[in-house]
Amino acid sequence: MIKHQDNKPKTVALIGNPNSGKSSLFNHLTGLHQEVSNFPGVTVDKKSAIIHLAETTLVRLIDFPGTYSFFPNSVEEKIVVDSLIQQNGPFRPDLVVYVADVTQLERHLLLATQIRDLGIPMIFVLNMIDVAQSQDQKIDTGALESYLKLPIVQTSVRQGVGLDTLRLAMFGALFNDQKHESPIYGLSELETKTANEVQQLFPASTKYQAKLIAHHHQWLPHLSGPERQSIKKIVDKNGFQDLRLQVQETMSRFESIVPVSKKVVTSRSPEMRSWTDRIDDVITNRFWGPVIFFGLMLIVFQAIYSLAALPMDLIEAGFASTGQWLSSHLPTHWISDLLVDGVWAGLGGVIVFVPQIAILFLMISFLEESGYMSRAVFMFDNIMRRFGMNGRSMVSLISSAACAIPAIMATRTISNQRERLITIMVSPLISCSARLPVYAILIGFVVPDIKIWGIFNSQGLAFMGLYLLGIVGALVSALILKPFIKETTGSFLMMELPNYKSPMWSNVL
Amino acid sequence: MQSVFSLNNKNALSTPKSLADLKPGESAFIAEVNENTYTCKLLNLGLLPRTKVTLVRKAPFGGAYYIKLGSHQLAVRIEEAASISIEP
Repeated sequence: MIKHQDNKPKTVALIGNPNSGKSSLFNHLTGLHQEVSNFPGVTVDKKSAIIHLAETTLVRLIDFPGTYSFFPNSVEEKIVVDSLIQQNGPFRPDLVVYVADVTQLERHLLLATQIRDLGIPMIFVLNMIDVAQSQDQKIDTGALESYLKLPIVQTSVRQGVGLDTLRLAMFGALFNDQKHESPIYGLSELETKTANEVQQLFPASTKYQAKLIAHHHQWLPHLSGPERQSIKKIVDKNGFQDLRLQVQETMSRFESIVPVSKKVVTSRSPEMRSWTDRIDDVITNRFWGPVIFFGLMLIVFQAIYSLAALPMDLIEAGFASTGQWLSSHLPTHWISDLLVDGVWAGLGGVIVFVPQIAILFLMISFLEESGYMSRAVFMFDNIMRRFGMNGRSMVSLISSAACAIPAIMATRTISNQRERLITIMVSPLISCSARLPVYAILIGFVVPDIKIWGIFNSQGLAFMGLYLLGIVGALVSALILKPFIKETTGSFLMMELPNYKSPMWSNVL
Repeated sequence: MQSVFSLNNKNALSTPKSLADLKPGESAFIAEVNENTYTCKLLNLGLLPRTKVTLVRKAPFGGAYYIKLGSHQLAVRIEEAASISIEP
């Protein structure tokens, strides 16, 4: 049901599993006019933008964090669940644009069927059709349409295919009420009884919405204390077993999804070893994996020095000559001295390090976008665990070489409290890029600029040494912290190793 | 009798029971995902009954497996893999 409010733009939510191409789609639909803020109370990015759908129609598009299902495992997933369940919440969308990777349709359908059962109008986007076509897969959207009973749009965000069709479909879905179809998951007797009782507290909610409230009443932020207690009573009285029923629902949904997705995507050629398989043979190899990892890190730090040298020289020369020009054209006075030797030279002293910092940020987001970072997580999980952390801590530790703030934000993917706390506390010990200018000046003073073995720059090596010192400091601190923090929740690694892809520049920058 | 017994015993040892018992390069079908706190997460990642799963390699420093399911690949810890029963 869509409320017609002419003054306020309608809200469209982009939702999908991680690696569905959702964020690329968001970038394509919005261009550069994005507004990045946080979801209230948590450090999770909320990207939103006002976009034109037609001449005079403005809608607010929100890019939600990647989510696997309504049974969340991370802070990010919880935000999605809370935003969609809360009846008149600030982020409850008028329309969901659900993005699925057609080559991973089976898994990506799970959340779609859950959102559909909530009764929020939805468009289903089959993304990456170019990849499916290149793998010689045939796609039958008819079978999908008759299963989901939703409008389906095929796109390839990478090639810019299908975006106009999607805009039209969004316009159509926002201004024509979608018929509410019967839910895909049929609630069991116990679930129905519980949901009915919860529904009495939230009369506007659908059955499935009430069931989710029963599952998540302990943490849903929008519930009040008394509401939480009354739901707890209902749940206890009916013997509503949270975990067991989550598994039951998930299994039952997959039972209908698996045959449908086999009908929708049929492969004509036998399965071949993909590029990802071949690359991973080397990159996650027992011996070569770690060697390549440290090689990459060495390259990153060498590159900071060598690639940044030219732009830095140019900036320095530029500031020096403009300073000279200024001092020769300004009257001799202490204010001129202050401007030229103080303000202008000081500004130059800071701006000269922008190239180094930019290169470091660029390379780290390149590692993340390409899919390499998750391989590092896989390789080093066991070592990280010894220090009371998780393989996922690798992402934070590497990112904190750029800046500790995004590194700490990246720890939200670690669901275990202890591992997350330790990672948060030790990440700032890794040398961040703001310390880079200081190191650069010190090394410039102390270490002579000579070549070692003909390829390594001695200053670059000294630089890496300082970074290594930070890493050792972080690990030792983690060991010290480990016994002081109590283990409360289970720790896990299980995660997707996405197919390698060349990063889209619009996402890296 | 003695030899038969030991042979049976050997068989029991060499037949993998859970995903954690597979050797690198071996494949099997998932029979069941045993219920625990992270079952839903395993299912969400595509570890569904009757799915073919291949253990591709072990992590360089141990502790985790690189596994392949159809067209996608996952990293799981040995304990996580142990909660997934398999059949040949």
